[in-house]
Amino acid sequence: MALSPPPPHEAPRRPSSLDIALVVWPSFLAACVASLLFFATVDPELLRDAGPRLLAGLDREAGYALGFLFFWAIGALASTLSVYLIRTDRPQKRGAGRGAS
Amino acid sequence: MTPPRLRVVPVAESGAFYAAAEKIYPREISGRFSRMRQGAVIALLGLFYGMPWLDWQGHQALLFDLPARKFHIFSLTLWPQDFLYLALLLIIAALSLFFFTALAGRLWCGYACPQTVWTELFVWIEQWTEGTRSRRMKLDRGPWTVEKVLRKSLKQLLWIALAAWTGFTFVGYFTPIRTLGAAITGLSLGPWSTFWVFLYGLATYGNAGFLREQVCKYMCPYARFQSAMFDKDTLIISYDEARGEPRGPRRRGTDARTAGLGDCIDCTLCVQVCPTGIDIRKGLQYECIACGECIDACDDVMDKMGSPRGLIRYTTEHALHGKATRVLRPRVLVYSALLLLAGGVLLYSLFTRMPLILDVIRDRNALYREVRGDRVENIFALKVINLDDRPHSYLLSAEGMQGLELIAPVAPIVVAAGSVSNIPARLDAPTSRAAGVHRIALSLTAVDAPGIHVHEKTRFIGPTP
Repeated sequence: MALSPPPPHEAPRRPSSLDIALVVWPSFLAACVASLLFFATVDPELLRDAGPRLLAGLDREAGYALGFLFFWAIGALASTLSVYLIRTDRPQKRGAGRGAS
Repeated sequence: MTPPRLRVVPVAESGAFYAAAEKIYPREISGRFSRMRQGAVIALLGLFYGMPWLDWQGHQALLFDLPARKFHIFSLTLWPQDFLYLALLLIIAALSLFFFTALAGRLWCGYACPQTVWTELFVWIEQWTEGTRSRRMKLDRGPWTVEKVLRKSLKQLLWIALAAWTGFTFVGYFTPIRTLGAAITGLSLGPWSTFWVFLYGLATYGNAGFLREQVCKYMCPYARFQSAMFDKDTLIISYDEARGEPRGPRRRGTDARTAGLGDCIDCTLCVQVCPTGIDIRKGLQYECIACGECIDACDDVMDKMGSPRGLIRYTTEHALHGKATRVLRPRVLVYSALLLLAGGVLLYSLFTRMPLILDVIRDRNALYREVRGDRVENIFALKVINLDDRPHSYLLSAEGMQGLELIAPVAPIVVAAGSVSNIPARLDAPTSRAAGVHRIALSLTAVDAPGIHVHEKTRFIGPTP
């Protein structure tokens, strides 16, 4: 089957501010929950002592902040993939799928 | 009479998922619900900004001391071991949200959500610096005059100062706020505290100053799923279509019915005061945060027109259809039962909380050692954690097998308030009785308070039989 070029109005577009919000915001919420659950049970100092030399010299505060940023980054990666997959999907015919309005 | 219908209107009726946001200029209004909202804003923000400055028995009354991994809540000190309470608290918070939503709709959104509360505060500043709704709109349309620059700069200055103070207060819940304040004035604030102050300050500034209702419309998950907790007996803010339609302007003193009109004079004040910019007359919409500003606006107009209040009012779908509203219904009963259960478990476990933890770890180097010719010795590493806010001495005892004897420690173990003590323990038993593995228990009892007592199971190992 030959691939037809996308119609002009559905040409690839630049990420909108909504796309950015859809990536940054849910991953932020997920990072809050992840940090809460993770650091309630794991002491960042234990991780530092068990981890690579790179982490040596970091205190707990640094551990919490880096952990939070790490969770945020991972969440943002997942959200980015979700948004990308949704945005690049072949446009569905209206009414074709279940639940379409 | 046809019953009024409640319609749910999508974000943009064009069908677009996202429409470029138009700036909303909420009109100022006073009335019953505005006063309640102002009261909520003052109470909640007063609590937020004031709480870290409150001291209790020599320490900050509420301090989530993350660097030390201890939470101080008045006299109570929670440790990471007390994770259960945090989990219960989160469950209770979620259940309360469900309960209040089922009962009275979006009370949370209208009165208690930080987004609403801080937005309200930022709007007050905006009104104070830039004036009323019409003046703000005129100012934005007009050219950049000296007055406009001054007014806008003053607003930004106040906003930034408030946001910075908010970030500082937020971090003050995690680092003693007086130390934090001293570190800031002494320009010796650590990099991570600086990072959190900026992040929280920036979030406050962005969310309450610029995003405002867009957070509720596009970012809030609760706004999307709250309708799942709604039923026809849930309190909602609704326009009484049967009474209001057909809407239209009329002279004061005109009898609406003889003129063929409903009570709505189409003044659009309800739209102008709405902080999310919707028209409540179009029916129940998920952008509505149930703040009640439109009720205040409409009641004012109805008073002036000499019509009864309540054209827009708190009501239920059943009431709008002329049916009885039931407050106690299965959904509400189930939520309240679960809430009572979770609350009961939390209170019970808090009141019966033992302020002492004993961890027993067997010595990893040797399973057992023969001593004095006819006895077998086992060595344990004890970790005694005193969770209480005063020091205690504890006596150790061992039981569970015949001839078992505690060699050390026999003197009381002294542990300071909120501290951990690591102590080796030695137990021995006659070789003749020690063969194999025996289940034993170690007990620790506070000398000054026999009620503080823990019991920890472990094993005593002897030669293979």
